[in-house]
Amino acid sequence: MNGSKDIFSTIFSAGTFQMMLRSATPVALAAIGGSMTEHAGIMNIGMEGMILMGAFFGVLGSFLAQSAFAGLALALLVGILAGLFFALLVVRYKSDEFIIGCALNTFAIGLTTYLARNYFPGDASGNPNLPELNLAFLDRIPGLRVINHQSVLVYLTWIIVILAWLFVYKTPYGFWLRASGEKPDTLRTAGISPKKMKWIASVLCGILCALAGAHLSLGQLQGTFTDNMSNSRGFIAFACVIFAAAHPGKAYLAALMFGFFEAIGLRLQGFVSSDLTGMIPYLITIVMMVYVVVRKQRRKMKNE
Amino acid sequence: MIRNKINTKYLISLGVSVLLAFLVGALILLCTGRNPLRAYGAMLSGAFSNRRHIGDVLEYAMVLAVCGLACDLGSRVGIFNVGGEGQLLLGAIAAAQVGAALDGVTAWAVIPLAALAAILTGALYALIPGVLKVKLKVNEVITTIMLNTVAAYLCQFLAKGPWRSSDPRMVAATEELSPRYWFGGLMGASNLSTAIFAAAIIAFLVWYVMQKTTPGFEMKLTGQNPRFARFSGLRIDRKIILCMAISGAMCGLVGMFRVFGAEHQYKSSISSDYYFEGLMVAMIARYQPLTTILLALFFAVLKVGAEGLQQVGVPNQIYLIIQTVIIFFMAAQSGFLEAAAANPRLRRLLSGRKKPPAGADPHTGAEPDEKGGAAQ
Repeated sequence: MNGSKDIFSTIFSAGTFQMMLRSATPVALAAIGGSMTEHAGIMNIGMEGMILMGAFFGVLGSFLAQSAFAGLALALLVGILAGLFFALLVVRYKSDEFIIGCALNTFAIGLTTYLARNYFPGDASGNPNLPELNLAFLDRIPGLRVINHQSVLVYLTWIIVILAWLFVYKTPYGFWLRASGEKPDTLRTAGISPKKMKWIASVLCGILCALAGAHLSLGQLQGTFTDNMSNSRGFIAFACVIFAAAHPGKAYLAALMFGFFEAIGLRLQGFVSSDLTGMIPYLITIVMMVYVVVRKQRRKMKNE
Repeated sequence: MIRNKINTKYLISLGVSVLLAFLVGALILLCTGRNPLRAYGAMLSGAFSNRRHIGDVLEYAMVLAVCGLACDLGSRVGIFNVGGEGQLLLGAIAAAQVGAALDGVTAWAVIPLAALAAILTGALYALIPGVLKVKLKVNEVITTIMLNTVAAYLCQFLAKGPWRSSDPRMVAATEELSPRYWFGGLMGASNLSTAIFAAAIIAFLVWYVMQKTTPGFEMKLTGQNPRFARFSGLRIDRKIILCMAISGAMCGLVGMFRVFGAEHQYKSSISSDYYFEGLMVAMIARYQPLTTILLALFFAVLKVGAEGLQQVGVPNQIYLIIQTVIIFFMAAQSGFLEAAAANPRLRRLLSGRKKPPAGADPHTGAEPDEKGGAAQ
C-alpha cells in the first residue's frame, strides 16, 4: 500500500532522527540528574520545576547580558540554588520529598511566569541563543549528517552521560552515593555522611536540570521562553530514571525513546493524531515499572 | 512525613507560615517595582468586591475542597492519589459526552446518568494504580503521574476527534450541553451553581465517615500501621482499593460539576491542574478533612483575588508563589524546630532564656546522625 509505505519512510527518515536527538536532550539531561538523586534514595518529583527555572533564567541572563553563555551561567547558578534549596528542605529539615517536589514545580510556574510578565511584557523571544555545531565534513558522510547542526548542549550531553556513568560506577564518590540511598547506616559506619552525599546529589540534579532547561529555551527554541515550557518533561525524565533503574546510560536511551515518540508524533500528524502517539511513552513506562517490580519479586522468591 | 495532628502548635505554625509567605510575596513584589500593599489590597477587593467574584470564590473552594478530600481519603489508608487530575478530566469528558449524546432526553435521566458516567470513569481510572499498588507494590505516585498525562492526551484526542463539537470555532471541545441540563446558577454571572450543594453533601459524608465511624477508624489504622491492621483481621487490601476508587469517583464528579455547572462542555478550561492545587491544600491541612475544607476556602479567596491583581497591572502568578511558600514553610517547620532545638544558641533564643542552662541536658540535643552529619 502506498500510504503505509509513506508512513514508514516518514518514521525512519533523517528528519525524525534529528528531531529525536533534539527533543531527547533536555529529558536526558534531567534524567541523568534524577539518576543522582534516585541513587541517593530521594524521590525527586521536583525536576519539572528545576527545568522550568533553568529555561527561564537562561533566557533572562541571555537577555540582560545579551550573551547566551551568560544566560547559561545564570541558569546554572539558579540550578545550584534550586538543588541547595531542595536539599535544605528534604535532607536537612527532613520534609517529605514528594510534597517539596510538588510545591517546587508549582513554585517554578508561579515565579517564572510572574517574572516573565515583568521582564518580557510582549514575548520572550529572539534573545541570543546557543550556537550550533557546524562541521562541514559531517555533512559529507551520509550516515552522520543527522548529528550535525545541533545545539552545542546536544553534544555536551554525550560527554555528560559518560562522565555521569564514570562518576556513579567507577569512583568512590559514586559508590558512596549509591550506598547513601541503599545502605545509609553502613555508609555511616564507614565514616561517610549519607546526608552529605544526598546534598551533593541534589545539587548535581539541580545543575543538570538547569542545563536541560537552558537547552530547551536557549538551544531548541533559540532564545525563547514561553509559559510553563518544561511541559511535563521533568515527569518524563522521572519516568526515564525509573525505566533505567537510575543508570545514566540507560536513562539516555530511555530519553531517546521518548524523543523518538515525540518526533514521530510530530512527523505523523497527517496520519495519526499526535495525542495518541504522545501517550505511548507513558504507557510503556507503566508497563516497564510493573515488569521491573514483578521481576524483582520473582528473584526474591527464588533466593528465598 | 508530616504528623497528622491539628492543635495549637499546628495553628500557630500555619499562621506564621502564611504571614511569612505574604512577606516573601511582598519582597518579590517590591523587587519587581510594585507596591505590595496596593497589590494585596487589589487581591482582597478582587475576591469580595461583587457577587460574581464571591460566587467564583465559592465555586473554586468547592473544587479545591472535593479534590483535597479525595486526596485525604487515599492518604488516610496510605495510598497517595496524585492521579486526580486525570480522573477529573476523564470524568468531565465522559459526563459531557453523555449529556451531548442524550440530547433531548429529560434532565431527570441525563443528569444522574452523566454523574454515573463521571463516577465510573473516575473510579475505574483510579483502580489501575490502586490495584497495581496493592497487588504488585508498584509505586502509586509514579503510575498516577504517568496516568495523568495519558488521560490528558486521551481527552485532547477525544475532544479534537471523535467527540468534537460541531461548532467550528472550538478546536478542542465537546458539544455544548443543552441549557436545560445546566445546573442552576446561584450568583449572577459567576461560575457558582447548585452543584455546590451536592459537593457539600459529599464533603459532609467524607468527613463523617472518616472521623466518626468505625470504618473511618479502620482506615486510619490501615494507613498508620498496616501490619497491625492486617493482624487485627482487617482486609486492608480491599480497603485501600476501595478508598482509591472512591477518591477517583470524587475527582470524576468534580469534573462533572465543572462541566454541568460552569463550562457546559468539555474544553481545556475544565481544569488547569486544579487537582494539584487541591492536593496541596490537603497537604497543608495534613490530610484532615475539616481543615482541608477551611483551607480550600482560604486558597480560593487567594486564587480568585489574584485575578483582581491584573487590574492594577500585577501578574496574578504571585498567588502561586505565596501558596507554595506556605507549603515550604509548613513542610519544613517540624524539621526546622527540631534542628533549632538541637542548636543551643537558637534554643535559648526560642525559649526566651538569657543564660544557657547549666549543664544542658544532652538528651534533648541532636540525634546521633544529626551530629554525624554536622561533623562532616
